[in-house]
Amino acid sequence: MHIFSLRRAGQLLVVPILAVFSALLVGALLMWIFGDDPLAAYRGLWEGAFGSPRAWSTTVRKMTPLILTGLSVSIAFKAGLFNIGASGQFIVGTVCSVAVGVNFEGVPAHLPLALLAGVVGGLLWGLIPGLLKVFTGAHEVIVTIMLNYVASLFAAWTVYAGGTQGQTPGPLWDVNAGPISRTAEVLASARLPWIFGEPYRVHWGVLLAIGVALAMWWLIFKTTLGFATRTVGANSKAARYAGINVRWITVLTLMIAGGVAGLAGAIETLGLNHRFAPEFTGGVGFDGITVALLGQTNPLGVLLSAFLLGALDAGSARMQFDSGVAADIIQVIQALVLAFVAAPAIIRQIYRLRKPGDLSESTVFSSGWGR
Amino acid sequence: MQKKRSAVFLSIALVCTLLLSACTTVAGPANPAATADEPAALQIGLVTDVGRVNDRSFNQSAWDGVLQAAAELGLQEGEEVKYIETQDSKDYADNIQQFVDAGFDVIVTVGFALGEATLAAAQAHPDTYFIGVDQFQGEALPNLTGLVFREDQSGFLAGALAAMLSKSGTIAAVLGTDLVPPVVAFKEGYEAGARFINPEITILSTYHPGEISQAFTDPEWGAATAKQALDQKADVIFGAGGMTGNGALQEIAAAPGAGTEIFCIGVDTDQWETLPAAHPCLVSSAMKLITPSVLDLISTYAADGSMTAGNYFGGAGLAPFHDFDAQIAPEIKEKLNEIAAGLADGSLSTGY
Repeated sequence: MHIFSLRRAGQLLVVPILAVFSALLVGALLMWIFGDDPLAAYRGLWEGAFGSPRAWSTTVRKMTPLILTGLSVSIAFKAGLFNIGASGQFIVGTVCSVAVGVNFEGVPAHLPLALLAGVVGGLLWGLIPGLLKVFTGAHEVIVTIMLNYVASLFAAWTVYAGGTQGQTPGPLWDVNAGPISRTAEVLASARLPWIFGEPYRVHWGVLLAIGVALAMWWLIFKTTLGFATRTVGANSKAARYAGINVRWITVLTLMIAGGVAGLAGAIETLGLNHRFAPEFTGGVGFDGITVALLGQTNPLGVLLSAFLLGALDAGSARMQFDSGVAADIIQVIQALVLAFVAAPAIIRQIYRLRKPGDLSESTVFSSGWGR
Repeated sequence: MQKKRSAVFLSIALVCTLLLSACTTVAGPANPAATADEPAALQIGLVTDVGRVNDRSFNQSAWDGVLQAAAELGLQEGEEVKYIETQDSKDYADNIQQFVDAGFDVIVTVGFALGEATLAAAQAHPDTYFIGVDQFQGEALPNLTGLVFREDQSGFLAGALAAMLSKSGTIAAVLGTDLVPPVVAFKEGYEAGARFINPEITILSTYHPGEISQAFTDPEWGAATAKQALDQKADVIFGAGGMTGNGALQEIAAAPGAGTEIFCIGVDTDQWETLPAAHPCLVSSAMKLITPSVLDLISTYAADGSMTAGNYFGGAGLAPFHDFDAQIAPEIKEKLNEIAAGLADGSLSTGY
């Protein structure tokens, strides 16, 4: 009856754990084939992720945006929607928060306003695929992918330094940056403060992200809205017969997903980068898909998987430094994790697991297609 | 069923042992690089821009300079000399810090985008010598050299060469993004150089329209744009933009008339060495001499510990003509030498 039953938790966790394990094993095999030393590599990875206070701080810093983009993808999955647009929503959130962060000097509650701007930006960016899906039937996968390109090109335009032949610079371009395309730094009043001081570069955004994850868990599992969302995801026809407004839930879910991804962009900017430049991509938006699937689209699972992927990212530089293994192997391992969790049948086959019992919340990843 | 369950336990046990072994082995011998404090051997680290160290372009040129310095100083790659390939532009500071923590003496950071992270690290660690490739320094720090190049000048020479080679009166440039200042400098120099020779010349310059992460890694677009330029009668084409530019050069190399009526010019390094596929059309390259400049700076530091403060202008100019040497008329070579001399003594301006 209760969500925290041990047996249930075990059933939910076994595939992700084995997926990570298998991915690390295949990664080691690949390194061995290419003549590298996998043990030295993984030792360096561990050292870089957990070996020192600085390593821990890097892991936490890497984890923060992954939690939020993972949540963004997860909540959409709960309603049977595949949000590939977290990347674009992240970037729009970034741009909106920077726009507020570099302006409005002396305004009260500058930081909350800047954060809110990021949320609203992402929310509106999520609203577009929501409306298009509900009113025109356009598939959210296609629309969100396309909107990613629109978002990153729009963002690049806002900071464009202008051409040498008098092309107009973008509205957010820092006039003191000369030929460099980027915004000014956000004002001190709009920055998320460091927790342990500058050298560790850990900001309060991490607690905010964890808070959002807990709130999201409550929203999904303890509220009527969450129940409606899950019902739509499980079977939208049944949901409609049950009197749930499926259209409204679809739009709302994509808006929430966009808002959370937008918040991720705002937090990264106001906490860490303090500005936007075109080289800051929305890559964490795509990583959010891995995080969500590995976390079984459960907000608490997302916390765990974001921590794991953050640690992998954090340790990769040290791994290359210590062992000379190209840091790209981490991306290979993450891709393998994704492949294994997306195709649990493989894992069940390899490790001879039973089919899970009735997991009413098991996510149907493919329901978006062929409707 | 019992068997299946034990299989699960077995695999979980395996994960645990893997994790445990990772912990314990780390706790044993501490990382030697971090503790070894022998004054004798110089330690040199390099942080790439997002991309690979063997990218046949920027990162590789700088790394080659480090390797040459290492060879001169008798240092071992993988021991005293290491690199980290940046995966994400947010990691610049972390990757630099990795070398600082390990007590490296010289840290080379490659690319304009690492400028701020390098500056911050240099301020925080005054005893470490930093070399920032392509990073213009607004104000001089004693322990930071901004290795910069006059791209507009080598672009000017490339443009002049293109204009002198062109018979159709139309030349082209296939460029990375105008979000990156050195690319803009190459383009402006190229156009100014071409107009210096022939004010009436038609120049088709095209920037990659995409975002910064695609602009230098899109050989298909480079090839298509080069094709388009050829269709519009351009007969000399300048490819400046990493792999995007390389795509253009390769497209031209495969076009009919390549090497006799149609030519191409490479960028950054002597691409005759790095891009053999372009040999049929590659008359020269507008170079930034990154490798020798990095070598110079490290050697100077290794000799007496002197750090070059502020900006250091590395050489920029045209690469040798290689197999086309006989085909280039002596007047053209003479004119190019004249221009290079004029640019060097300031009597000639690129206007950039």
